[in-house]
Amino acid sequence: MTTTRAPSDDPRIELDRDLGVFEPVPPYPPRTEREAEFYTLGDGQMFINMGPQHPSTHGVLRVVLKLDGEKVVDLDPVLGYLHRGVEKLCENADYHQAICYTDPLEYVSSLFTEWSPVIAFEKLMDVQVPRRAEYIRVLSSELNRIASHALFLGWMALDLGGLTPILWSFIERDEIVDMLAALTGQRMLFNYFRIGGVNGDLNHEFMSRLGDWMSRATEHIEAGNGLLNENEIFVRRMRGLGTIDSKTALRMVMTGPNLRATGVPFDVRRAHPYSVFPELEFDIPTRAEGDCLARYLLRIDEIKQSLRIIDQCLHQMPDGPVMAKLPRLLRPRPGRAYAAVEGPRGQLSTYAVSDGTDQPFRMRIHDPSFIHLQAVGVMMPGNLIADTMAIMASLDPIMGGVDK
Amino acid sequence: MTVIGRSWGRLTLPGKVILAAIPILIALTAGLVAVIVVLGAPILDGLAANLPIVRFVLAATIILLMTIPTAFLIIYMEMKVIALMNLRIGPDRVGPFGSLLSVVHGLKVLMKEDFTPTGADSVVFTLAPVVTYLASVMTLLVIPFAPGLYGQDFNIGLLYFFAIGGLSVVGLLMAGWSSYNKYSLLGGLRSAAQVISYEIPLTLSVVGLILLAGTMSLNQIVLNQSGWFTDWYVFQQPLGVLIFFIAATAEANRTPFDLTEADSEIVAGFATEYSGMRFGFFFFAEYVNVFIVSALTVTLFFGGWNAPFPWPWPITLSLDPGGLGIGLLLLVTVVPLLLCIVFAVPLWIARPRIKTWHALVVGFVLANLFLVALVGAGAYIGLDWVAGVLWFMLKTYVFVFTFVWMRGTLPRVRIDQLMDFAWKWLLPASLLNLFVTAAAIVVVNR
Repeated sequence: MTTTRAPSDDPRIELDRDLGVFEPVPPYPPRTEREAEFYTLGDGQMFINMGPQHPSTHGVLRVVLKLDGEKVVDLDPVLGYLHRGVEKLCENADYHQAICYTDPLEYVSSLFTEWSPVIAFEKLMDVQVPRRAEYIRVLSSELNRIASHALFLGWMALDLGGLTPILWSFIERDEIVDMLAALTGQRMLFNYFRIGGVNGDLNHEFMSRLGDWMSRATEHIEAGNGLLNENEIFVRRMRGLGTIDSKTALRMVMTGPNLRATGVPFDVRRAHPYSVFPELEFDIPTRAEGDCLARYLLRIDEIKQSLRIIDQCLHQMPDGPVMAKLPRLLRPRPGRAYAAVEGPRGQLSTYAVSDGTDQPFRMRIHDPSFIHLQAVGVMMPGNLIADTMAIMASLDPIMGGVDK
Repeated sequence: MTVIGRSWGRLTLPGKVILAAIPILIALTAGLVAVIVVLGAPILDGLAANLPIVRFVLAATIILLMTIPTAFLIIYMEMKVIALMNLRIGPDRVGPFGSLLSVVHGLKVLMKEDFTPTGADSVVFTLAPVVTYLASVMTLLVIPFAPGLYGQDFNIGLLYFFAIGGLSVVGLLMAGWSSYNKYSLLGGLRSAAQVISYEIPLTLSVVGLILLAGTMSLNQIVLNQSGWFTDWYVFQQPLGVLIFFIAATAEANRTPFDLTEADSEIVAGFATEYSGMRFGFFFFAEYVNVFIVSALTVTLFFGGWNAPFPWPWPITLSLDPGGLGIGLLLLVTVVPLLLCIVFAVPLWIARPRIKTWHALVVGFVLANLFLVALVGAGAYIGLDWVAGVLWFMLKTYVFVFTFVWMRGTLPRVRIDQLMDFAWKWLLPASLLNLFVTAAAIVVVNR
């Protein structure tokens, strides 16, 4: 076992000796104290490189783990494998075109990532959105939230070694995605919301599929959860794992289900209401424990609340146009606008600056996945290598949003 | 000469090879015949003198060959059953209901590049799958499949089983260490820790049974359980069978104890760097292990090849084909034809407009099925090893199904929970089982 290899092609690295098998291979000469500390191995420790190609890092995340046996001592996430420069792309497109670039940020819940820039642009232009359009937005986005959460429940089980739940939850997701495809014309990257409304009115196929699905949605979701919620192995692995208290979570600016699982009832839909959410009745489920199980169960509760919202939307849906009257070329006055929506992963917000041209001068996108991924550094040390994936899955990051 | 040359020139390459091979084959056959004629009697005498060795070699060969269809069957079963549990269709392209897919998988594995990573210890790396596979296969040698149908009847059969079965972890450790990969290393060390921990409750859980049976020969243990199904040891050792099955699941590295190849944690564990047929051997070994563990559970606790109830009407078939004389000719020629017509007649009656040859074809198929069923029933009644294999396989595949079922249902445990469970629960429970059994034997025998 004395074979040696150059650690990389980086000419800056000059090693005066051969590297052993389990010695660290720093990616570059350490630039900060933290890096120097991290890439120094203690007694009996070793590095393991998890990702960017690993069966369960939810995309192309690379985590360098410092292990003591199977215990994670420290970790260093390496980001940027999926960086596409979405913000810059948006700044070089006009206001209509910018929306479609935001779709693939969170590719399992695209309606939310397009919703926040749409609201920001509408604020810039003082557009009054028709009420029917707002209801359709809420309806379709809550459907998308359920699809995203259903996927989360399946992935969570898959990362713990359960094969079946992922396929069961994909059934729910597929039905919703087919439904949304009937409404928007796309299965994943919908590009449905427009400045001043939505791209098309509700159609017959969408409504019939929705009616079909709503009649058995609760039952299906209960059945799928029955596989896991009462499973001793699952509950034992999840309970008390990756605990974070509300104070730390707030200091890390965590939002969404991950924050609510620590007991803070913060939901953008209630805290800073937008669209027609003030007219709708729904609870903000919270859990006090702040561990992986709480985050898992909280999402099930959220699915139930989303079903409530969809039901109300269907009952209160007003008639009228779905698109405001707008000029084809949009040139808002110079100014700035900020808009936040409550995505399935947390607060998704956009800060847009206009300089009076037809393109946004600056567009800043705040994605919750990136924020939540920081919490991994607090949660993981001290846990076993098997739990790294469980913790990561319970935070539900989407690498498209992390790397932007 | 030109004619032959031109003909030779027209042949394709395979044709040339075959043509050249024909005289060689003829010569070889002639030589073989000559050798048999000249040396046949001494060889046969020699074989007859060493019958146990011949029997052992034959049994080993058959068992080695048997593992391949067994693994194929279990792999197919796993794909199909888990697909049903996942509400999928599963394999359905190759063969009827996709049943040949595992064969195709086998071919694929054979054709893939056999890759050794840079820095790997290539000798150990190559040996590891062999050790794992052979350790699995060798344990099959002591399992009695039917009355008289076993590789070797050791008086320490059970001990042999555990000793050889424990060797498979050596292969996994070798694979983990030699792969030059930290994931492999973690997988190998996990498997070592796991197998060593679960070996103890596994062995202790059957000590009670050994006390009851008074022997460690698997054949004798099965013979002890003959009669009604109430004589099976499962009813005397309910705790023992539970502990045994759980520990055996861990031994076979199956869900929920499949930490050694936990794909969501350590990629593929010890097999991360393996490809091609070397990976195929690990894969085979895993499924053969599933079969072996199920077979041992059946052998020890569920009566082995014994039927759950004795055949109530003892029938002795005395079929002497020579005694039938001309009747044999009739039986072979006329009876099948008659049967075809007999089976076709109801069709004519039920649907008078059916074409004659259609009815006859249906009658032919039905007659064949009837004859096969008749022969099968005759074999079941007349030959006790047919009945034995049937019952043994039936019971074994019930347990194989249970393994597959668990894989489709359960998530994976964590390594510390795994160890806790072995040392804090299974070990005391198996000791308790042993103590209670021993006490009961003392009380009953006094």
